[in-house]
Amino acid sequence: MIGTIAQYMQFPFVRYALVVGTLIALCSSLMGVTLVLKRFSFIGDGLSHVAFGAMAIAGVLRIKGDMLFVMPATVLCAVLLLRTGKNAKVRGDAAVAMISVGALAVGYLLLNLFSTSSNLSGDVCATLFGSTSILTLTKTEVWLSAGLSVAVVALFILFYNKLFAVTFDEDFARAVGTRVDACNLLIAVVIAVIIVLAMNLVGSLLISALIIFPALSAMRLFRSFRAVTVCSAVLSVLCALTGMLVSIVGGTPVGSTIVAVDIAVYVAFVIIEKIRR
Amino acid sequence: MKKLALIALLGLTVLALAACGAGQASEAVTEAATEVPELPVDLDLTQLSGTVVYSQVYDMMNEPDSYMGQRIRMDGSFSYYKDEDTQQEYFAAIIADATACCAQGIEFVWKGEHAYPEDYPPLDTDITVTGTFDTYYEGNYMYVQLVDADVAWNE
Repeated sequence: MIGTIAQYMQFPFVRYALVVGTLIALCSSLMGVTLVLKRFSFIGDGLSHVAFGAMAIAGVLRIKGDMLFVMPATVLCAVLLLRTGKNAKVRGDAAVAMISVGALAVGYLLLNLFSTSSNLSGDVCATLFGSTSILTLTKTEVWLSAGLSVAVVALFILFYNKLFAVTFDEDFARAVGTRVDACNLLIAVVIAVIIVLAMNLVGSLLISALIIFPALSAMRLFRSFRAVTVCSAVLSVLCALTGMLVSIVGGTPVGSTIVAVDIAVYVAFVIIEKIRR
Repeated sequence: MKKLALIALLGLTVLALAACGAGQASEAVTEAATEVPELPVDLDLTQLSGTVVYSQVYDMMNEPDSYMGQRIRMDGSFSYYKDEDTQQEYFAAIIADATACCAQGIEFVWKGEHAYPEDYPPLDTDITVTGTFDTYYEGNYMYVQLVDADVAWNE
């Protein structure tokens, strides 16, 4: 088994996939704790559909380096969703659902009407389920993904205390001088960046799993924000690595294998929690 | 504490990426083939999992220069296409990805004289092709193919 893995590690795209996949898993788990606690677990799903729609538009317009278009579009929608005020006519889960299905439908419609690809169903399937996207990254995409991942982790470390305050009690955070709106804007931007990056790893339909499962697993055993965050990060990285290695050796789809490992770990943590009681 | 964590993070990332860039798989395989001349091929895709084979073929399409002249063996599903305008025939081995929604194909040129369909397998038959990686142009587009190829399949 180790010999087989060592053989596969000779391939540069396998090494790239493992490094980028690990970094993406780390990023997604860090923000996952905040999103779960803020009751925004499903925003990942909504934004990933927005990214799909943006990718379709980029494809139709033949924009080279579609991430340069997809990223700003997703960030914009994330800001709109997370900063929806109390006076907005469409709020919360309704806004997420509306943008989610709207972007998915319009994206697929545009692809069908104007696509220049010879394999439309393949392109759509690869975007939705990840397929082998993480194993087919170009060097530029590897460096871009790694750079953005490092930036996300750095921002999380730098603003850890503020994120902690905003996550649990916005009113209290505002009362003690924290710029809550700026923090929420930061969260929105970071989430959008993670979503666009994670589309390469697990596809747009499975991104929510990458964000919420490690956090939910960690919450079964730990109570403090720091412990949950650290445990979530460790679990997410280990699950992503395990899933990718199983997929590479066993020839299974990368995204769904990673999510299956995440689910197995969650079930294991639920059992451990029951035993401890 | 935050600065230390940031420095550690950046250090780890640089180390990981440096390890990433150390050498190319194709080079490693080529070197191995040079050292062990009895090896029949430079890159044997039949020994790899479906996920990696698909990714490897994708890489060969994206960076053909890295594979020029290498002897490659691959499994795939036999496919045939004839351009009615030019009467040019194309033969390929097709590889599907793990989700079975995407496929990559590599064209091959069977060495010797062979006529289609008499000498070739039925369409979609699983075949093993061993050939030398090469590229050619038609119009402004570059295509890849395995030339001087041996083709085998189970009846």
